[in-house]
Amino acid sequence: MQSLYALLQMYETEYIEDYKKSWKKVKLSNAEDLLKVAKALKANGLKTIATVSPTDFLEKNIIEMNYFFEDLISKRNCWLKCDISRELDKCEIESITPLFKGANWHEREAYSMFGVKFLHHPDLRPIIISQDFYGKAPFRKDFDWDAHEANTLQNIQTIVDAFKTEENENDKGIDAESSETVLNWGPTHPASGPIRLKVHCDGEDVISIDPDIGFVWRALEHLVTKKDFIGAIVAVERLCFMDNINSMIAYAQAVEEIAGTEITEFAKWMRVLLGEVSRISSHAMGMGGFYNALGLHTVAMWNMDMREFFLDFLESYSGARIATAAIEAGGVRYGLQENMLEELQLALDKFDATKDDMRAIFVKNPTMKMRAAKQGIITAQEVEEYSLCGVVARASGVKVDVRLDEPYAAYDKINMDYVTQKTGSANDRLVNLFEELEQSVDIIKQAKKHIEECIKSGKFNPTKDHMVKVPKKLPAGEAISRVEWSRGEVLMHLVTQEKATSPYRLKMKAPSFNHTMMLDKLLKGQTLSDIPLIFGSLYICQGDLDR
Amino acid sequence: MIFNIVIFPGIFYVLLWTVALFWFFRKFIAALHKRVGPSFNGPAGSYQTLFDLSKLLTKESITPDGVNPYLFSIMPILAATIAMLPTAFIPWTQTITVVQSEYALLALVVLIGIEPFLLFLTGFGSNNKYSFLGGIRVLTQMISMETSFFLSALSPALLFGTLNLNAIVEQSSWLSFLILLPAFILYFIALLGLLDQPPFNIPDAEQEIVYGFYTEYSGTNYFLLKLAEFSEFMAVFAGAATLFLGGYKGLFFDGFIFLFIKMLLIAMFMMVIRASTPRITMKQMLHFSWSYLVPLSLLNVAWIMLAKIYLLGSLS
Amino acid sequence: MLKIYDFFAHAKSESLWMAHFCTGCCSLEMAAAMGPRYDWERYGYLPTPTPRQADLLIITGLVTKKILPALLRTYAQMPEPKYVLALGACSFDGGPYNDSLAVIKNPTEILPADVFVAGCPPRPEAIIAGLEEIKEKMKQGIPSAASQGGLYKEMEF
Repeated sequence: MQSLYALLQMYETEYIEDYKKSWKKVKLSNAEDLLKVAKALKANGLKTIATVSPTDFLEKNIIEMNYFFEDLISKRNCWLKCDISRELDKCEIESITPLFKGANWHEREAYSMFGVKFLHHPDLRPIIISQDFYGKAPFRKDFDWDAHEANTLQNIQTIVDAFKTEENENDKGIDAESSETVLNWGPTHPASGPIRLKVHCDGEDVISIDPDIGFVWRALEHLVTKKDFIGAIVAVERLCFMDNINSMIAYAQAVEEIAGTEITEFAKWMRVLLGEVSRISSHAMGMGGFYNALGLHTVAMWNMDMREFFLDFLESYSGARIATAAIEAGGVRYGLQENMLEELQLALDKFDATKDDMRAIFVKNPTMKMRAAKQGIITAQEVEEYSLCGVVARASGVKVDVRLDEPYAAYDKINMDYVTQKTGSANDRLVNLFEELEQSVDIIKQAKKHIEECIKSGKFNPTKDHMVKVPKKLPAGEAISRVEWSRGEVLMHLVTQEKATSPYRLKMKAPSFNHTMMLDKLLKGQTLSDIPLIFGSLYICQGDLDR
Repeated sequence: MIFNIVIFPGIFYVLLWTVALFWFFRKFIAALHKRVGPSFNGPAGSYQTLFDLSKLLTKESITPDGVNPYLFSIMPILAATIAMLPTAFIPWTQTITVVQSEYALLALVVLIGIEPFLLFLTGFGSNNKYSFLGGIRVLTQMISMETSFFLSALSPALLFGTLNLNAIVEQSSWLSFLILLPAFILYFIALLGLLDQPPFNIPDAEQEIVYGFYTEYSGTNYFLLKLAEFSEFMAVFAGAATLFLGGYKGLFFDGFIFLFIKMLLIAMFMMVIRASTPRITMKQMLHFSWSYLVPLSLLNVAWIMLAKIYLLGSLS
Repeated sequence: MLKIYDFFAHAKSESLWMAHFCTGCCSLEMAAAMGPRYDWERYGYLPTPTPRQADLLIITGLVTKKILPALLRTYAQMPEPKYVLALGACSFDGGPYNDSLAVIKNPTEILPADVFVAGCPPRPEAIIAGLEEIKEKMKQGIPSAASQGGLYKEMEF
């Protein structure tokens, strides 16, 4: 940690602060230094960049850039800030994509949403936003949405025209003699979900892939700024419904940090419990999706059967199967009634009953191994380079798990270890997914036991302890909060203004964004049959891809 | 003869088989999925597939822009007709064989083998990239699977010295069943490939190329293609039962029911594989076929010869 | 003759195949409706891989501007007669995304739906109940709402 401090001191900075346990928070005086600092940080071991997040300060007339550098090995992190001008033609900064490949799409996103121009970026095209927003910077505070919205049909026509132009160009641009062609894999495709992969292929061989994303872009980061701090939960949990509890935990932690609230011990344990239930329901779907991509629907069905029991628990707890909104800043929303844990026990029994069959028939399936063991290999080095996380990173043998690296809620009192595989192939990702399911069940058992004991001994009062009050108006401040989401690390960067009732800026870094970036690299030179396999194995959800 | 063409084993029987087998597949696969499957239309949902197929008959049949309309609409009819023809050569009972021929086995094998080519043409005529890819995949799979299909299907002829299916059934015994067991296994694997069933469901792989050659077909045309698919099932299952499992021969008496049970058993086995095996890739299929399946089929031919000489004791 | 016609009309209503198209979060509950506990195949619903064989288009929740052309094109590719089911609050008025930049607030004004299913997301039982309602409409011979009008007819996609 000291060496990082020494390193940062060599540059002109406004301040260098310790933040949380493992972070250094730095503000550079000149934005020109950015590239030098980034280079030095990379040489120092911080090879991963979580995200690039601009914040638009209308009154100060600046855009503040936030860079989150991480070191996956020694767990040192650095939060780098610098200011740039807000005027559209001067709003530019040096791109760090040549150094950190993982920053590629994040910079493109910042370019599309805020109009920040990244100099020397290899491929600075708009991403996520639909064609009618091109060149308009929709996330800036002075963007006039009502004026834009006035002619919706015309905007849609822009999108249609753009698609038709592209189609014609594809037909024209391709040599009539060659057998090369462009396939649109999605958005109306049985295995794709709302994403479009432009597959350039020659017969069965894939030449290159260009993902076109943003089909479920709901502008969540913009939406939360129109809601109050509690209402924002509705938007945050819709990051992806497969695992909504953990994303709410991340947001709630950020709010609590700014408000300076400490939640009760009981609420912490409940967060672990609910978070893991949610993780299981997500992993079960993810594993099913993996096999679905290979035309084997049985696993999805068996997993769905098991998942329903976990959803029963969530339903008895919160009243909703999926849209639970169960986590709030200040704790968890509801108390725990007696029979709820019995409901959970049923689910755990159900999992234990099918676990062995599942492993024997499907996880160790020889055809599956033949198919996936040599496909889509991601090395540990690539994990760092492209800043992958979660199941994908751990399958490559990288020990990264926010629950252990930077324990939140009650994870510091849980007995657990990294679940890793060795080679990082598609099959390893699958095995890892299954082993994490087992790990989650184990964590739930620990948490359940502890909660039951503490209720019995009178340490927890399950109907009163669940919430502490958080003020409705928060002071000015900013916080980042990380959680281990089902797909990997979610980083939320929350900025508030003085006496604010709603977030000023919330940046959500979600893992699928980085994973989708890998698609082109993994699929180049493979065949069409490998597209669903690798796409499925990366465990991508379009919800958190587009946000 | 008219009875044979219209009722049994002709059009009506094929339609009934399609409806029933479609329902059976759905029920059986649902059971493996821990589901129930169709259940509210008729007893145990048995009217469901009848409704499904009737609906297809009355839906709009779309002919997409830019296709050759003749090729596009003639291929399903041709595919369905040719897929139904093999039923004429199969000995359904001791007495019912529509076409009594000394060369019935050859006709059966050729009629089954020509079907993928028709499916390729349906894909080719659809003016759709996915359909075309599906068509190419059908053709590739046909070339690599049919060698071992032919070799294993013809091994009973080698053993019994006749191409007449009735004679093959008459001569079959427990001993011949054991001798033909390797050939049956090879036939079954090749069957999965010919019928586009997992792990060889490469030509209509939903997740890769949407629905392969089916992609552009709707309404009646799709109904005909489905009919062709299920008739093909019937021909191949009945062929397997006749060639290797003793056809209509039963435990205590002989009859159609035993042939039907044998066909259902093969179908069930196919479904279990469907519910437990992921799809493999084109390259793996080619590799598997040419470096394992075809050599093994050739070895099998040698084994039949040896068995004929040393176990049956003659080389007539 | 009437009997035969009735049979085919009945067959049409009893066998609803749906085009596979996810536009939003409700597709998660749709997957649950396919699953073992709710199993909509009991009623004869079946997902098809291509819109050419589908009778029903399900708008699963929100519709963004970017996905709308694809949705309309999918609808156009389906053979007649075809029906539309709209799931969730989002397809009715934007739901939680009412203030969002990218989401169309009233997609059913563009592509009218025959039946709305309330909820965010609707429970699997509710989805199946909505499908049953479409069956009823088909049995009564009510033409689909989208064939009666809608902004999509004026658009080129």
